[in-house]
Amino acid sequence: MKLTGLALAKSLYEGRDQRARELKAEGRTVVGYLCNFAPIEIFEAAGLVPYRIRGDMRERATEANQYLETYGCPFVRNTFELALKNRYDFIDGLVMSHACDSVQRVYGIWTKYRPHAFTYLFNVPHTVTPASERFYINELKQFKAKVEAFVGKVIDDDALRSAIELCDGNRKLLTELYAMRQMDPPLISGTEMLELLIAGTGLPAAEFRTLLNEVKAEVQTRKTGPKAKSARLMFYGCINDDTTLVHLMEECSSNVVMDDTCIGVRGMLGSVGDTEAMHESLMRYYFRDFKCPRTYRDSGVKRFDYLIEAAKQWNAQGVVLYILSFCDTHKLDLVDVRRHLDSHGLPSLVLEDDYSVSAVESMRTRIEAFVETVA
Amino acid sequence: MSEQNELRRAVKSLETVRRAKDLLPSFFRKQEPNQSGGLAWAMVGISPEILYAFDIPVEWPENYSTLCASKLVSTQFIEQAEADGYSPDLCSYLLNNMGYVSRMMELGGTVPPEAPKGGMGSPTMLLSATVACDPRSKWFQSLSSRYMSDIPVFAFEAASPPYDTEVGDPNVQDNYKALLRDSLQNMVTFLSQQTGRQIDLARLRHAITVSHEQAKLIWEIHELRVAQPCPMGAEDFFSGCVIPMTYMTGQVESVDYLRRLRDELRDRVAKRIGVLKDERYRLLWVGLPPWYNLGFFNAIGDLGAVFPVETMYFTGPPVDADLSDPVEAIVERTWKRAEWANSCSTEHIPEHFVPCNQTPAGSGLIRSWVKKFKLDGAIMHRTRTCRAMSWGQVHIKNLLAEEGIPSLIIESDMGDPRNWNQSTMMAQVRGLLSTIDSVRKTGAKA
Repeated sequence: MKLTGLALAKSLYEGRDQRARELKAEGRTVVGYLCNFAPIEIFEAAGLVPYRIRGDMRERATEANQYLETYGCPFVRNTFELALKNRYDFIDGLVMSHACDSVQRVYGIWTKYRPHAFTYLFNVPHTVTPASERFYINELKQFKAKVEAFVGKVIDDDALRSAIELCDGNRKLLTELYAMRQMDPPLISGTEMLELLIAGTGLPAAEFRTLLNEVKAEVQTRKTGPKAKSARLMFYGCINDDTTLVHLMEECSSNVVMDDTCIGVRGMLGSVGDTEAMHESLMRYYFRDFKCPRTYRDSGVKRFDYLIEAAKQWNAQGVVLYILSFCDTHKLDLVDVRRHLDSHGLPSLVLEDDYSVSAVESMRTRIEAFVETVA
Repeated sequence: MSEQNELRRAVKSLETVRRAKDLLPSFFRKQEPNQSGGLAWAMVGISPEILYAFDIPVEWPENYSTLCASKLVSTQFIEQAEADGYSPDLCSYLLNNMGYVSRMMELGGTVPPEAPKGGMGSPTMLLSATVACDPRSKWFQSLSSRYMSDIPVFAFEAASPPYDTEVGDPNVQDNYKALLRDSLQNMVTFLSQQTGRQIDLARLRHAITVSHEQAKLIWEIHELRVAQPCPMGAEDFFSGCVIPMTYMTGQVESVDYLRRLRDELRDRVAKRIGVLKDERYRLLWVGLPPWYNLGFFNAIGDLGAVFPVETMYFTGPPVDADLSDPVEAIVERTWKRAEWANSCSTEHIPEHFVPCNQTPAGSGLIRSWVKKFKLDGAIMHRTRTCRAMSWGQVHIKNLLAEEGIPSLIIESDMGDPRNWNQSTMMAQVRGLLSTIDSVRKTGAKA
């Protein structure tokens, strides 16, 4: 039976790269990308299949230690481990962004030991100023030219415009799904939402559109949606491309109703918008407005007001702060985020993780205690 | 932690280095605000020449953290920052600075009595630099958010071209140079607003001329260290070169000091005077040093090993720049250094587009040093709280192995002595030297 909607999203999530491999077998060219500063619209407009590089929390680092330090971002180390084990052998190109020191430093080592036909490190400034925005736009143009050289055709404005409209349409659908999480009980669980989001990072935008429409129709009409639980929680922090933790939180009598992570609100909602000044619009979406803590935006705690606002709108009673070991930028913000949440009466729980399933399971007791506290 | 009596200050070989505090008095005193009341806390990456052109006194918290480490007081400040919620994984320089400020606030604004050199002058502005590593991008943001909300912050920006960037492409060049140029100009505007003064371009021109002379001297010193026996080791380099070449760029005092040091090295080379009487091993030092224990290099010297070259605080050869527009001269020289670094480095290269004459060494350059410096082995310091400068060491170890050069990775930290274990590390060093002996005897590759 052909799967649709949430069942398909779950299947795609669990199948990991299965769909990208199928597309590759059909003759499509697949480009893997790590972190989302390089717009997927460029890949789409060039006819490439964008595949967001996923780690695997069940895979232990064995081979990576021969090439990389053990101290360092466990997610980046994990993806490099998978690369060494040829788990990304279906990708034709690799695009990384200068998101953090770990990615910047691993790029050269990765491309030396696992070369691809096309590789690019998308450079991103650390401050948001008119000068850095100009730099981003020029970097975007150079990146686009490199992609054009790789595929052997020019990406014309119409193709880019269509890609932006397609991706923005998906973002609009996601925004509508997020709004359904404001209800009590939410119409879609945190686990289901994350399965859908992660599935979407491995699909062409048009296929994701179909899936999103199916899911939207399903959750609006189904009779067996999530039940209201003891607490409504928000999830903040580092990249989370595995549902284990969110599922655990929901097992611990909470509804995960909102997030601020890159596979989530931070990197997949909103809108590129204006398709007249496309480069500027892409810069605004992927750089100026993308609230990854690696980018400096003034000092003071008011820069986290958006979290307070989101907690109000989604009626979250507490926030789980998910931090990967050695993530300097999140760890520095963490102190100010907690102070700001505290000052607004929002309790928080810090969960530090080394990107492994076993570490997540050990968090159960703490999550249960936190839920009891905030309920 | 190991016994603190294992932590020793360096015994220096060079008279000039021994006299560094006397010869560089303007750096080694606590800075005071000038007539306009301005005083900056700045990070490496901020051009000292521009601060000089504005006549702004400056303290360098990164350097102050190394001083706290060398005086063995950093642990107290680091623990204070940890108690305030900052993760022990964060840069120990940063934690030291946070703890220092936190402690000062606890004392109602008084400098903590344990602070070396009477503390740092209180800042009226924070000059952050987003180059080189992530924590430096956020350090002053956090400092301001938590402890110093009334002190304005300026974040200086520069992006480094990745190793496979076509640096000869004019579009690429223009983009990188434009970002640096705009950022320098933004900094000039910020400093004008803070001081109420315009930049003195003649003074800036003079400072850049001086720093060019300084770069030539630093390169000469680098080249003189090729000699056998080696005239200067890592203990003297880290004790006596980092400050004049990193924090005193453009200052005549620094040039006089470096000239004296260069002359002393020339003399030692001519007379074949080495750091060691019996130089048996020549080693590469990779990474940051343990600032609280620079005597570690002497301990290794006791085993017959000397370090003629290090990967950190490397500058590369001097580059010329047209001084008619002195701000543009900084842009040009920085780009030329980056081009040079890209041309002689391969897949691993730290961020190297830094406008203060630093050019961190990449993997290709390091590989070329094996023959140039006649290296027998390498010791790499994996610093737990500075992943930015540690990541790549395993890779470099693999590359050196291809050259038949054995390496040792020791794990500790640059500013936090809590994880230092001298006896274990010395046993590891003896193992490395034994491996070198074996390679020599058998001709086997490492």
